[in-house]
Amino acid sequence: MNDAGEGSSQAVRIGIDAGGTFTDFVAAFPDGRVLYHKEPSSSIDPSEPVDRGIRLLLDQAELSPDHPVLIVHGTTIGLNAVLQRKGAKVAVVVSRGTRDILEFERGRLPDYLNLLARKPEPLVPRERVIEIDARLDAQGETVRSPSREEMDELCDSIARIDPDAVAVSLINSYRNSFLEEEIGAAIRKRFPNILVTESSRVWPEIREYERSVVACLNAGIHPLLNDYLNTLSTRVASTGRPVALQLTTSAGGMLSLESARERPVETMLSGPASGTIAAARLAAEVGVSEAITFDMGGTSADIAILSDGRFEFTTNSHIGGLPLIMPVVGVSSIGAGGGSILTVDSAGALKVGPESAGSDPGPVAYGRGGNKPTLTDCYIALGIIDPADFLGGRLKIDRAAAEAALAVVAGKIGRTDAAEAGQAALDIATTRMATELFKLLALGGHDPSKQMLIPFGGAGPTHAIMLAEEAGLAGIVVPPAAATFCALGAALADVRRDLLRSIGEARFETLDRRLWPVWSELEAEAQNWLRVENVPVLDVSMEYSLDMRYAGQSHNMLVTVAEPIRQAHDLQGVAEALHAAHEALYGFRETDDAVEVVSVRLSITGRVPAITLPDLAVSQAAPVPKGTRAVFQRDRWVDAQVFHRSDLLADDVVAGPAVIVQPDTTTWLPSPWTLKVHRNGALIASRSNADEA
Amino acid sequence: MKLDPVTLEILATKFAAAAEEMSYFLKRTGRSQYVKEAADFSTALVDTRGKFYAYPRNIGVSGFFDLDCGPTIAAVGHLEPGDVIITNHPYMSSGLATHLPDFNLVQPYFHDGRIVSYGWSFVHSADVGGRVPSSISPSNFELFQEGMLIPPMKLVKRGEMNKDAEGFLRANCRTPDANMGDIRAMLAALHLGERRVARIIAQHGIDTFEAAIPGVLSYTAVKAREAFRSIPDGTFEFWDYIDDDLVSALPLRIRLKLTIDDGLLHLDFTGSDPQVQAAYNLPTAGKRHSQMTAWLTSYALTRDPTLPLNSGMLEPVTIYTERGSLLNPEFPAAVGVRHAIVHRVMDATNGALAQALPDFMPAGCAGIIIPVVLAEPEDSNGRRNVSVVQPMVGGGGAHNGGDGADGRHSGPVNIGNNPLETTEANADVTILSYAMRIDSGGAGEWRGGSGAELTFSPHQSGSQVLGRGMDRFRFVPWGLAGGLPGLAARTIVNRGRPDEHEVGKLDMVELQAGDTITILTPGGGGYGDPLKRDPQRVLKDVRGGFVSAESALRDYGVHIADDRVDKSATTLRRSEMVAARARDPERPFFAFGRERDVWDAVFDDTLLSRISAALLTLPLGARTVARRVLWAALLAVIERNVPFAPDALAHARVAVERELALLEARVVKPALLTASAA
Repeated sequence: MNDAGEGSSQAVRIGIDAGGTFTDFVAAFPDGRVLYHKEPSSSIDPSEPVDRGIRLLLDQAELSPDHPVLIVHGTTIGLNAVLQRKGAKVAVVVSRGTRDILEFERGRLPDYLNLLARKPEPLVPRERVIEIDARLDAQGETVRSPSREEMDELCDSIARIDPDAVAVSLINSYRNSFLEEEIGAAIRKRFPNILVTESSRVWPEIREYERSVVACLNAGIHPLLNDYLNTLSTRVASTGRPVALQLTTSAGGMLSLESARERPVETMLSGPASGTIAAARLAAEVGVSEAITFDMGGTSADIAILSDGRFEFTTNSHIGGLPLIMPVVGVSSIGAGGGSILTVDSAGALKVGPESAGSDPGPVAYGRGGNKPTLTDCYIALGIIDPADFLGGRLKIDRAAAEAALAVVAGKIGRTDAAEAGQAALDIATTRMATELFKLLALGGHDPSKQMLIPFGGAGPTHAIMLAEEAGLAGIVVPPAAATFCALGAALADVRRDLLRSIGEARFETLDRRLWPVWSELEAEAQNWLRVENVPVLDVSMEYSLDMRYAGQSHNMLVTVAEPIRQAHDLQGVAEALHAAHEALYGFRETDDAVEVVSVRLSITGRVPAITLPDLAVSQAAPVPKGTRAVFQRDRWVDAQVFHRSDLLADDVVAGPAVIVQPDTTTWLPSPWTLKVHRNGALIASRSNADEA
Repeated sequence: MKLDPVTLEILATKFAAAAEEMSYFLKRTGRSQYVKEAADFSTALVDTRGKFYAYPRNIGVSGFFDLDCGPTIAAVGHLEPGDVIITNHPYMSSGLATHLPDFNLVQPYFHDGRIVSYGWSFVHSADVGGRVPSSISPSNFELFQEGMLIPPMKLVKRGEMNKDAEGFLRANCRTPDANMGDIRAMLAALHLGERRVARIIAQHGIDTFEAAIPGVLSYTAVKAREAFRSIPDGTFEFWDYIDDDLVSALPLRIRLKLTIDDGLLHLDFTGSDPQVQAAYNLPTAGKRHSQMTAWLTSYALTRDPTLPLNSGMLEPVTIYTERGSLLNPEFPAAVGVRHAIVHRVMDATNGALAQALPDFMPAGCAGIIIPVVLAEPEDSNGRRNVSVVQPMVGGGGAHNGGDGADGRHSGPVNIGNNPLETTEANADVTILSYAMRIDSGGAGEWRGGSGAELTFSPHQSGSQVLGRGMDRFRFVPWGLAGGLPGLAARTIVNRGRPDEHEVGKLDMVELQAGDTITILTPGGGGYGDPLKRDPQRVLKDVRGGFVSAESALRDYGVHIADDRVDKSATTLRRSEMVAARARDPERPFFAFGRERDVWDAVFDDTLLSRISAALLTLPLGARTVARRVLWAALLAVIERNVPFAPDALAHARVAVERELALLEARVVKPALLTASAA
């Protein structure tokens, strides 16, 4: 929507996805050029490859030194710290009598069918939880407030613990942040260098355990991310360019360094969320409104559901066994990855995973000492992956070793050879993925036959059609640059933030005086935040929603409320929104039942200028294959044509069986599937006889 | 048709996913707190015999996969597409339902005009009528007091709700809307199961589908037997007690003789007490039953977590229960609180296995679930706000190599808690503490898990607190291999005030505004010699507040001063304690605690087994009277919440033995006469 004149002053956008092995970059320039780049990640100083990549891309672009640059960065620093429990040393301040919120968690043992199951290590050990006489009632009124002496004692206790960060989480603070802020202020005053997180300021939602987890996660990654951002800002500033640095969020948006420093917990799941931003754009470009992303890497396959052009959010995700109640893009694991190991149990059943050979030692065929066959070995034995051209030929593949390992499996399950065993393992893995996918689709009431699969990650495009066949999906769309897909998503991110206030369990009758003012407050807060973020945006939109339920239910439904209903203060309209949402999902409404509102939500999105990605040239003739190779498809060997992805042009059509090879992945197109190349470079495949079937 | 292993694995995956999908659907659409919070519901796919071939893994009630729908289906007779059966009758369903709030629904799934599978679902409903709100009270003494009885019958006929049945159901409970909401959710889940079964048949064909069901069951049976082979062959006996049935102070005994032979298990519960005139009976119809095998299935899954969940897992297991006993009661025994019995069956199984596998099995767990309920006085509209303040459990038992879980029950007791904020928003109450109970976990080289502590104060006078499921006030979770038992449960009103008083094991207590009630749950038993516990672990427990410095010194011999272990004082103290032990050579494998020791010294296994045997020869009516007469002398000298007096018990035994001799003369002689006549 921007013309060239406007574009020339537009910032260069660089999206970065810092993963465990590689740090990926996508740079989009106002003149329409797009550059992709990869740097090996560094565990010692993760900012170093980021800095190196940025400089390299900017040098290549030959920009004027004062051209504005916007860097949108996704990092897993927070996530890894939590998964490895290597976060900062946190102390927690709680109301008297509630010291064990983190010990009890929500009561269930994760491995309860195991008689010897132990309780998980609490997020913060009990000796670092401090009780204080500070208590609010369920209406948010202060019942007990600590005296000056008690505040001093609290600070003495903190001094003895000597933490890096402190979280304050009082019972019922979701109704009123005043008491937590008072305590926070006292702590900051005595310890100016300790970072303090008040649970009610980060995410004031009812349920003390979950809210405390948010506060403790925030506090725990605060110092780490702070250090990283300081180092990175210094490095970036030394380029001498007008660079703005932003971070991607778990909700598929971006926020400023200042916001990220205050609420680092919002960045934790940003990697997968960025992938979905790119997928949403891709889906829009190819005219698809119902889609599922399928990110299959070495250890797992993850999906997210795109419904009516938008990604579904979840408010009950988990990180390393801890609940995260803030809205994040709903990414779920559905099963095995390329490194998942095949085993045959004592009763002769073939299993795939959950153990994974990862990338080290990796599959048998990698020849790095792995001696247990994996799904990747299956792709190789079946001829889907070409040993000579794996990862652009950078990795030497030993096909014979993979076949030998699979032949052993074949012997145990009554199959004749490696290819049959490989096929069996792929069928089992695919079945598992499809059943998990069905469960997730069923939860949201989605019809599998309307879904397009958007595969990325190393094994995604290889396995996508197997899954699409088993699950009866409409087809697949392989994105142009599957390996830097998350970095592209970062470059595309809008400015976005979610805000929430729990209002308890408000009966509908009392709602009129409580609901509308809360939304007005949230609106003002959101607009103020966006102003301070100071990122140029094209327009601003707000979305209003409520956590609602029928009285007696404890499961809330997230119900979007249309703006006219909110403006008209139309309570009946609000109730109708719940009924309609309930009916859409469950098939019935409970119009006789009382309606309750638990939490009020608002999300604000500032849309940033669009990035233009280059189109492919239109094909003038049928594409020429590089050759053919034998691939095992449904119990027999077939000759599959081999194409290089870079040789394919817009509107090219390829009929299966065929394999499309590119340096970082292989797309397997069995018969009777056909693909067509979109002008943006995507490969769109569907079953050729779909209409006849 | 025998399926190849790959097809079987694929079908098994689809079966399990379908059963699980049904449960997810039910959880989200169900109405009552039992579905939403307590997860007291489930779904399954059932074969044409009525046995379960697929069951959800991570949702709902765990381990109900060895129920039998057969008798329920047979009772209804001819079924047509779209029919759905309902029952809650423990006796007429032969133990498919085990108490009345559990509505069980069964739907036939047809293919080409014949039944190829069934779907099953159950929900614990909020109320099914009867004497008390929510229908369960320990003091109910016959089934009719516990609510409406629904024999197996069609709730839905050819897809149409049976309006007469619905009207009857609605009229006979206190919560008709919630109940019908749950039933609608169950029906929807069953229909989902029907569609999933149809999809599997469409993908793989009916022959493969029908072959896969026995295939999955026999695969599971083979794998389960392999897991059970990890138990050495032999016979192991164990018994454990419920404090009492709340109606009288008489302890209730569950006795198990477990025989293992090459991975085949036989559980003989002969010698367990006769059924009682209270709601503590477990209706099993004398069959192998999920409620009695929970600990075994967890054992198998501990050995092999990949086992599919279906009835095949129990194929290597046989069970014998005596008709008329607590574990196989006769109609119309009341059954509402049968889960208290289930806990003790699990403990008995654990104790028997612990003798077979002393280095593997955990010590005794808390063995209770208490949904602490607050019933506020009626408001001006006549409505009463009733809510669960907190579903409470105690600590897990320690094992060789690991401490018990604190404030959580390991094994097949997997109940979530309520956020304090949600409770305070729902009910007129302030929660003053929800915490770990210090020093409650049994000391040991590995410490028993801490029990929990809950203190709250209702704002309205006349508020009632209900604590169904309370137990282990007298007989505590036992320690193993030198470990000490966990602390007993306690209930205290106005703790720390001048008017503080113990209320002990309770059914209901009424409080005034400003009163507080404190519920302390038992800790798990410890494992191994406490003097061998790493002093640094003891220090960590003291720092964390799980163990007091006094207990560290008294029970562990660890001297802690200034937040550090005093090494020389600890060495000295521990050697003194070892020396003191030499004078007390007997250190049994099980540490049962004082009350059990006193009881066992007087009422030994031989006498108690004789009593059960004699009583069970009598018809139900006569048995009840005979039991009262037999125990009269003991009942006169024991009281709930008061420790046993050894002398009084010994004195009572003389009278009990005299009565037993009279009874045996009466009941055994006619039997002998009959035998000699034949």
